[in-house]
Amino acid sequence: MTDPDDIIGTDSPVSAVQRATLDAVLNIIVPASEDGRLPSAVEVGVLDHIRDAAAGDAVAGAPAHDLIDTLREELDRLDDQARTQFGGAFAELAADDQETLVDNIRSNDPRFMSGLAMVTVTCYYQHDRVLEALGMEARAPYPQGYEVLSGDLSLLDPVIQRGKRYRDT
Amino acid sequence: MAEDIVDVLIIGAGASGAAVAWSLAETRMRIVCLEQGDWMNPADYPSTKRNWETARAGEYSISPNVRRRPADYPINEDDSPISVANFNAVGGSTILYAAHFPRFHPSDFRVRSLDGVADDWPIDYASLDPFYAQNDRNIGVAGLAGDPAYPPHEPPLPHVPLGLMGETMARGFNALGWHWWPSDSAIVTRPYEGREQCANLGPCGSGCATGAKSSADITYWPMAQRMGVELKTHCRVREITVDERGMATGVIYYDENDVECRQRAEVVIVACNGVGTPRLLLNSTSSGFPDGLANRSGLVGKNLMFHPWGHVQGVFDEPLESHYGPGGCCMLSQEFYETDPNRDFLRGYNMQITRGGGPIGTAMAGITSGDIPWGAGHHEAFAKFFDRTVNMGLCCEDLPEEHNTVTLDPSLTDSNGIPAPKITYRVSENSRRMLQHGLERGTEVMKAAGAWQVRTVPLVRMAGWHLLGTARMGFDPERSVVNEWGRSHDVRNLFIVDGSIFVTSGGVNPTTTIQALALYIADSMKQRLANLFD
Repeated sequence: MTDPDDIIGTDSPVSAVQRATLDAVLNIIVPASEDGRLPSAVEVGVLDHIRDAAAGDAVAGAPAHDLIDTLREELDRLDDQARTQFGGAFAELAADDQETLVDNIRSNDPRFMSGLAMVTVTCYYQHDRVLEALGMEARAPYPQGYEVLSGDLSLLDPVIQRGKRYRDT
Repeated sequence: MAEDIVDVLIIGAGASGAAVAWSLAETRMRIVCLEQGDWMNPADYPSTKRNWETARAGEYSISPNVRRRPADYPINEDDSPISVANFNAVGGSTILYAAHFPRFHPSDFRVRSLDGVADDWPIDYASLDPFYAQNDRNIGVAGLAGDPAYPPHEPPLPHVPLGLMGETMARGFNALGWHWWPSDSAIVTRPYEGREQCANLGPCGSGCATGAKSSADITYWPMAQRMGVELKTHCRVREITVDERGMATGVIYYDENDVECRQRAEVVIVACNGVGTPRLLLNSTSSGFPDGLANRSGLVGKNLMFHPWGHVQGVFDEPLESHYGPGGCCMLSQEFYETDPNRDFLRGYNMQITRGGGPIGTAMAGITSGDIPWGAGHHEAFAKFFDRTVNMGLCCEDLPEEHNTVTLDPSLTDSNGIPAPKITYRVSENSRRMLQHGLERGTEVMKAAGAWQVRTVPLVRMAGWHLLGTARMGFDPERSVVNEWGRSHDVRNLFIVDGSIFVTSGGVNPTTTIQALALYIADSMKQRLANLFD
């Protein structure tokens, strides 16, 4: 009989177990700030971002399933290592054990984890809640733009005093 | 049906093609420009999007090999440590340029006489001065008069804002007693000629949605078209044709449906940049020009010059709002621009201060470098870098060397089967010493300004924006491709007006000089219309 936790929901590209593993990793990459101002990466929709990126790749002609398949495979591999090394699912391990496993993978075969980190911070640092917590407005630069100080031109006085500095011909 | 023969055919609608089209339009000659790209829609530029940082990748990459838009052609760069940056559209590479707009120095035109290397130009700064000024007024250039590093000139618009970042760097330069000045920038800082002023969006290098950056599509082209110049897009020129007299007769091109077409012309003007122009000429062979059109000197495609580009980044304790403002334009230092015989290299470089990265760029760079960790400490580390970084580009003069070339690749082609260009280039020992000097001085001024961390990149690969020297000017037909007013020595109705005609590269961004030269050549043509082919 199929384990309900292994069933992939019709609107999720990963199973419940894979989702729990992913969330645990995301929380390692970018945890919530201690003061609660900044959220964990779990809360900014990284999986949706990956799914959208995969769909974009499909539009561009590259197979979409590669990105999602890789994600599933790597999450399963991480979970298998957790069960082998620590006797339990990755998502249920103590934080220290989770970090130990992730650090080992980063050291020995960093490709997936590095890629996941880049996707995570890309998603994280364009999220409204994060930008607002950083004191920025969550909007496109155009049309309002930004105010920038013109600058104190009296700082040029020493340059002017030193005089001409190009060669005549 | 009578054959359609235009008076002037311009190939390429970028910085120089646009300038020459505008200038010649007053003659009321029938002028047609063929451009392989299309008009850009500013509403599509990344700065209009929430995900502007990531939207800059892909189709707005500076590299055609990454971008792969329909108008792009591939470039073989396997034998070059510097990658070509360009953009194929109406406006050309000005669509993506940073608009940093410093002029050449007078000494840049006299490198052989002053420093004993390279060659002298057949023209001088004084000859170009009025055309620099005309271009500044035509397109809208911001700056500050009084720079002691230049002969007097007066940009028409106020300088771009320095910001807290600029003031901080200014104090660093002042502490060392070094030159600095607000950069001349092709950006309108006040409403100008119906265009809105700069709103400091930031990502100028992926197109200006405001229309404040003075790209050729929104400056020269509307004026030229109103004066009757006909601009045809999606027209990729394959070769220039000649007759038995050795005169250019027109071009063969592919239209938007990839149908092969011919356009006859009395005069042909090439404006395809320092890679596109030699590619076109080398592909235009005939019995009279077996080695490529206008190439009896053998110099077409040779003497390729980039500006070898170093990078210095400083990180400061205080927030500098450094990611706000025109990305590539703030201030520059020419302290080490002119040759100093006490140094171990000839010629010099400019230090171009540019803005800091956005939040995504800061995080990605920090994680890659290890400065911003995963997990505990991530937020604290991010806060130390974001909004607190200042970047500096080292734009080094590149001496002309014949072994640095643009040739036709033997197997790689574009979508129309036209041979792609192949770049063969190596950084000279003079450039390496210059870069090293720049990295050390850049580090020195960052620390003088208060940076607690300074990182350097000795040679940036994705920095081949400036494509120069591959169809050089000169008096001697055996040592140059075009004469002192841009006409081919070999083909008397063929002109070249882009950066390929540069004799030396200078140590500054070239576009203002490219456009001034184009205007100068157009003016020279207008003065000689009665005997243009003599």
